[in-house]
Amino acid sequence: MTNNPVTWSRRRLLGTAAAAIGLGASGVLSGCSSVAGGLGAERDTGTLDFWNLFGGGDGVRMQQMLDAYQQGHPEIELAAVTLAWGNPYYTKLSLATVGDRPPEVAISHLTRMKNLVRADLLEELLPDDLARHGMTPDKFNQRAWEAGLVDGKAYAIPIDTHPFVMFYNTDICQEAGLLDASGKLKPLDGETAFIDAMTAAKQVTGGFGGALAFVSETSTPWRMFQSFYSQLGGQMLADDGNRVVIDDAKATQVLEFMQGLTRDGLFPNPIDYQGSIAMFANGETGFFFQGEWEITTFQTAKLPFSMTLFPNVFGGGTYAVQADSHTFVLPKQPHRDQARLDRSLTFVRSMLDQSKTWTEGGHVPLWLPFAESSEFAQMSPQSNYASAADSAAYDADGWYSGSGSNFEIITGSAIADVLAGASSPQQAIAQMRGNLEQLAGTASPL
Amino acid sequence: MSTQTSTQTDTDLGRGIAPTAPRRGGGLGQGRSAAGFLAPFVILYLLFVIGPTIYGLLLSFTNASLVKPGLNGFAGFGNYGEALGSGDFWSSLWHTLWFTILTTPPLVILGFVLALLANRLGRGRWFFRLAFFAPYVLPSAVVALIWLWLYTPALGLLDTALAKVGMTPPSWLGDAAWAMPSLAITTVWWTLGFNFVLYLAGLQEIPRDLYEAAAMDGAGPWQQIRSITIPMLGRTTTLVAVLQVIASLKVFDQMYLMTQGGPNFATRSILQLVYDEGFTNFRVGYAAAVSMLFFIVVLAVSAVWFTLVRRQEKVV
Amino acid sequence: MTSTTVDTGVTMERIHSREKLFNRICAGVLIAFALLWLVPLAWAVDTALKPNEETTRTTWLIDSPTFDAFTRTFRDTDMLSWYGASFIISSLTAIGVVIVASLAAFAISRMRFRYKNLVFWGILAGIMIPGQVLIVPWFREFDAINLLNTYWAVILPQLPAAIAVFIFKQFFDGLPRDLEEAARMDGASFFRVYRRIVLPLARPAVAAVAIFTFVTTWNDLLWPLLVLSNPDLMTVPVGLATVQGAFGIRYADTMASAILGAIPLVAVFLLFQRQIVQGIAGSGLKG
Repeated sequence: MTNNPVTWSRRRLLGTAAAAIGLGASGVLSGCSSVAGGLGAERDTGTLDFWNLFGGGDGVRMQQMLDAYQQGHPEIELAAVTLAWGNPYYTKLSLATVGDRPPEVAISHLTRMKNLVRADLLEELLPDDLARHGMTPDKFNQRAWEAGLVDGKAYAIPIDTHPFVMFYNTDICQEAGLLDASGKLKPLDGETAFIDAMTAAKQVTGGFGGALAFVSETSTPWRMFQSFYSQLGGQMLADDGNRVVIDDAKATQVLEFMQGLTRDGLFPNPIDYQGSIAMFANGETGFFFQGEWEITTFQTAKLPFSMTLFPNVFGGGTYAVQADSHTFVLPKQPHRDQARLDRSLTFVRSMLDQSKTWTEGGHVPLWLPFAESSEFAQMSPQSNYASAADSAAYDADGWYSGSGSNFEIITGSAIADVLAGASSPQQAIAQMRGNLEQLAGTASPL
Repeated sequence: MSTQTSTQTDTDLGRGIAPTAPRRGGGLGQGRSAAGFLAPFVILYLLFVIGPTIYGLLLSFTNASLVKPGLNGFAGFGNYGEALGSGDFWSSLWHTLWFTILTTPPLVILGFVLALLANRLGRGRWFFRLAFFAPYVLPSAVVALIWLWLYTPALGLLDTALAKVGMTPPSWLGDAAWAMPSLAITTVWWTLGFNFVLYLAGLQEIPRDLYEAAAMDGAGPWQQIRSITIPMLGRTTTLVAVLQVIASLKVFDQMYLMTQGGPNFATRSILQLVYDEGFTNFRVGYAAAVSMLFFIVVLAVSAVWFTLVRRQEKVV
Repeated sequence: MTSTTVDTGVTMERIHSREKLFNRICAGVLIAFALLWLVPLAWAVDTALKPNEETTRTTWLIDSPTFDAFTRTFRDTDMLSWYGASFIISSLTAIGVVIVASLAAFAISRMRFRYKNLVFWGILAGIMIPGQVLIVPWFREFDAINLLNTYWAVILPQLPAAIAVFIFKQFFDGLPRDLEEAARMDGASFFRVYRRIVLPLARPAVAAVAIFTFVTTWNDLLWPLLVLSNPDLMTVPVGLATVQGAFGIRYADTMASAILGAIPLVAVFLLFQRQIVQGIAGSGLKG
């Protein structure tokens, strides 16, 4: 009996708690119509969901562009979502589309977009619809536009090409005598010129010549390899990824060259992504190799630096550099709806019109009205490497290929082992070939 | 039960006299209302457990794709052959086992020791339960965010603390050799409370007079633990260990959230392989086959549990 | 005999002082561990209360504590709708599991019917099938019935919880039967007995199953991650898992979102500690 008051008060406490939770929930419910959506209600019209994968400086600039769009179109309920990039992003996008709740517009890498097309997840962009919004093929960089066609049809609107580039510290290069009279970097074409420049920079810094991230990082080593390898004219895959066609001689040549950079102490070993940034930012290296998007990082750090085309070490007359493009795609909706299509294309057009903002983040613009303008020509260092868009070496076609894909992970980790000195070029090639052939031999799920 | 035999006869009589009576019981009548009671569960069970199990088995013999309708052609044992012959399958199975090996002993031993101490202490048990068990109720995503921050190179609390005592911290999640132990540390922190609570409950079921009798015989605390507590907790330990092993085999969240299976796939668990193959590569048939192989592993572990429990019950 | 009594007296004293020392060591070790266990949580709270710029200086001291990170989290994420989704999904699942499992357990515990053993063992076998094994067929199934990206896709597969049937059956088996038998004699239907007599008596089991289901459903990641791909439908864990990349290196914001994600469950834990603990201990030990 003495227990009774205790039991009662506890019971009352639980009751009160349950009531409180219930009240809280109903508050949340009334505040959010979307919650009811999960139980089967239809969505409002006039919404525009936009998914992207931009973090850091890109994210900030994308937000500026979205704000500008929203100001021009206050009637549209714009919901922009930023997701972590790489495989998880594309998985999410695919699952949402399969599950009939895709965003109206999404960002996709050009090299990933093709697989989404083959999986029948993207809406074809008909010439008439594009023309109605003034986005005809002749207004885009030809290399990027054509690389994005699947069986001659358009499914994606490219906004940029983001090539692998070379960052250089202008103070260090000046001291090393690597700049010409106008303060620009002298060309580093050819193996000797490249090595000499790295050696000269190393002597100035007392640390290293250049930095390339390869620990916990597969894309970066792949990008450098692919740039060199493409300059030699090498191919990785053929027949839409059904065959592995690695050229042993060319791959060995490139890998031996890359291994020499870390072995001879010109590049640090080991080094991860953040570490490589820190080294360049602290003046411990004169050169830094990465995608152009890191421009913001070094601008923020107030580093005396510039950027230029990734050097043409092996190409001779022909230039090539690893690159990909960000594109806008329209995932397939459960019902086709002209109004929604126009809403989406208006949004994309608005983004293209803000190419200048986007270019500030280092990307090479493809929208010719801006890319051919004098305004862009004056943008430095962005315009230094604009021609990379015409020589872009995109990742080969294949259901397992594309930016951040298994293909890049397999090749990148083998190349990283070479840079770390953990495996020989021959071992790395055998490893790549073995793993890729396994994927190539698997029936495509697309 | 005596009443049940009487109801049996009751109905036989009742049928003749009052036709409204059958719901009072009896073979057929009870069978019918039993069906009513069982129906919701059984229907859902068939729809979402048995049906999918059979469907999954069927899928595992096909080339089914996530983005294509239908089964996309039969593959025979092709998917199983591919899995058993693939380095990815075996390495993710090994990662899963490695994770299990790294987490189970500390979780079982620490859970036991801490529960033992808390039980001895008597006072302040609520505080310890709060400290150890609170992490367990957190979503894995919250745990991951907190630990990603703790593990952050250079800036994280762990690196700064180690640097202060003059140690060079490893690259917790970035180094292939350290990534799994780091995930294991996080997991021990996260789930220790579960075992702590199980052991605490087990300890409280041990009769106090056993200890008193032992103390009378002059047994010190250590002897009491060895001769009473540990043997009396045998069943709890089996249970804790098996639940732990099964839970570890099913690990997915920590890897997905903290390392995405990296670096270089060094922490990809078997469930993440299913996720990657089925939902990133769209290879539903192959993913189903990997699921089935994983299922067999779980079944084998459960079978071991059953035999252990059986044997223990015979002994006790 | 006399000599031994004196002896025991001395030993008892010695044992006592030894135990005191032992207890003190126990307390010390235990408190050290408990504090160690609280550090990550405390550090998360500490970080969240800093401005983002301050987070890179690794110190417990905060120059200018602020709740801005929390405000930003609410502004920049769909946290409120994640709360709503998690709450609805977890509640409906908990209620559903209690109803479905207790009905089935009642039939098994109280009624006589053919193939009862077969049914019971068939259900028990379900404990052996982990849901994680079924994600692939489930996804195809929900795709076929057009329920992807609805809460039902998360709720329905969790409802046939064999372990809950088992817990209820154990509990029902242990209840006294005189009341029920009297009611049955008076012509009460089985449903009436279940609803009016057994279920009220089984309140502890109901609470344990409901709260435990609520917590595990709330925390579930893999399956909701697959079926809730639109951010405004996501549950708290899925939302946090999906947007974490978007926060970049704003540690205060990241920790604020983690704490906001943790709060509802910490509240549930503090309120229902006993039930949760009983649920674990009960389901486990009787197995």
